[in-house]
Amino acid sequence: MTPAALVPAMPHLLAGDPAPSWAELATATRTVGDRLRAAGVDTVLLLSTQWFTVLGHQVQCDARLRGRRTDENWYRYDYGHLDHDLAIDTDLAHRWADEIDAAGMQARRTLYEGFPVDTGTIVATKLLDPHGHGRRETERSGARPFEYALVSCNLYAEPSAMAAVAAAGVRAARDLGRTLGVVAVSGLSSGLTGRWITPAEDRVSDAHDRWNRKVLDAIRAGDRDEVLAMSPQYAAAAQADSQFRAFAFLDGAGVVDGPGEVLAYGPVWGTGAAVVWWGSDSD
Amino acid sequence: MARVFQVPAGSSRSGARRAAGTPAAPAPAPAPRPGEQKAGIVAGYLAPHPPHLVYAENPPQNEPRSTGGWEVLRWGYEELRRRLRAHRPDVLVVHAPHWITMVGHHVNCVPNPRGISVEPIFPHLFRYHYDFRTDVDLAEAIVEEGERAGLVTSALREDGVRVDYATIGALHLANPDWDLPVVSLSANNNPYYYSDASLAEMETLGVATRRAIERTGRRAVLLGSNSLSHLHWDTEPELPEDMSAERPFNHAQYAGDMELLQTIREGPTSRLKDAVPKHIEATASETKAGSLTWLLAAMGWPDVAGDVLAYGTVIATGNAVVEWVP
Ligand SMILES: [Fe+2]
Repeated sequence: MTPAALVPAMPHLLAGDPAPSWAELATATRTVGDRLRAAGVDTVLLLSTQWFTVLGHQVQCDARLRGRRTDENWYRYDYGHLDHDLAIDTDLAHRWADEIDAAGMQARRTLYEGFPVDTGTIVATKLLDPHGHGRRETERSGARPFEYALVSCNLYAEPSAMAAVAAAGVRAARDLGRTLGVVAVSGLSSGLTGRWITPAEDRVSDAHDRWNRKVLDAIRAGDRDEVLAMSPQYAAAAQADSQFRAFAFLDGAGVVDGPGEVLAYGPVWGTGAAVVWWGSDSD
Repeated sequence: MARVFQVPAGSSRSGARRAAGTPAAPAPAPAPRPGEQKAGIVAGYLAPHPPHLVYAENPPQNEPRSTGGWEVLRWGYEELRRRLRAHRPDVLVVHAPHWITMVGHHVNCVPNPRGISVEPIFPHLFRYHYDFRTDVDLAEAIVEEGERAGLVTSALREDGVRVDYATIGALHLANPDWDLPVVSLSANNNPYYYSDASLAEMETLGVATRRAIERTGRRAVLLGSNSLSHLHWDTEPELPEDMSAERPFNHAQYAGDMELLQTIREGPTSRLKDAVPKHIEATASETKAGSLTWLLAAMGWPDVAGDVLAYGTVIATGNAVVEWVP
């Protein structure tokens, strides 16, 4: 079974002085990274809902994404300043784009100097591979960095289209013989607190909390059909992040047929966030 | 020191068009004579920002090259530029929906924002090298007035935040010479994940903006940067400027835009307090991000009609260039 995870998108997980929930979510995301490494993953197929687009499906084709992102909302905090250095599996990216086209959708090959990597992708990859300071340094230290294949989240396409995009990525990876992990970077409920709060004040509203737990229970039970069936209602009632396209993406990759292990769940600035793992938990 | 000046209820020009049943033909505003220049908001524009319009113009700041396209909208912007010049503003104040701030209303207080803005959604159309001046005194005054009015605000003083394509797009299209200082306001909403803007808060932000402009004695032109009907294609033709692919998303979207524009052309703007939410409901209009409401609230919902300088679709969204002179 291809290992997979749902991880949060919010930068608070990188705070120097985190709320307990932020710290737990960060630790759990690091655990996902450890497990992906233990599974011998070469490339992580990754969707971040914060790279939202509206035209076609953008596949990142730049071999290396290096830079610093200053978040347009969180710049006043330490976690609003994010250095990043990501290695992209460009062979897989191009193959993925070809498979998207072949499936009758529109792939858009993205290769632009200065392209702004979204906060969700940076946060997730920093936690999944905290020592991945770039291929050269990592090779010197003997560790094996992940490479990534990144696709955007088209908010005008149906969630089923995101499933088809994921399936195309899995086919492309299989053709190339990659050992694949699949990660969706997304929040759960999205009742963001609309004021500046201290970490200690952070909580999810009761109504959204009930919805998040209901969805996570179905995920724990491995009831994929139930999760998909409740997704539209969840999206409406809890304003789920990008209408929970993240789960549709994971489903399209064929990685959520079994029970998911909820490694952490809690608030991030009023939104709901969880780390969920599908696959073996052995190291 | 700052001069405080209440904007008059209507200029001689707009007064002639006030609440007229029949829209008047557009005409450029007469240039104020020396000594006549007064502070306050001298004009407001609905100034949509599709990156396609910048791309189509091939300005030196933008890396991609085009063969044109969307001419009628761009001709509307040419007219806007002539009129804007005639108003002789000290500053352009822009509210645009793609500097998305989840918490509060932010104002860019960086004195000289510069860099390259590669647009994540349209990187093939928009990779713009920007370098402009902020009117920091006015920017800070808007933060203060917003706070005083009870809004959650933030002054952006960090150099590294990339300026979004909507802010750059509206400013470039209104003033491609970039020879006027700017104040840029964020959109406190998350149209894609979370929620639309609270139009009531945009009203408050508009009033706070006006107070700050009056307090600092500026002669300001406001740009509210929203498209209208907002359903659009999710794919693109091989040649982005292939105008044979350009049309309204459907008739209902077009008709919804025409109904709103008719109300704008008839005036007065107070009718838009009801018409804008109705239009949002009918067409998923980008005015849900609040820029148009901010603009009209800042101008005090003037008792005038608007001049529609152009209308056209961009990847099926409706876009209008409109002038209001209070
Ligand atoms: Fe827009």
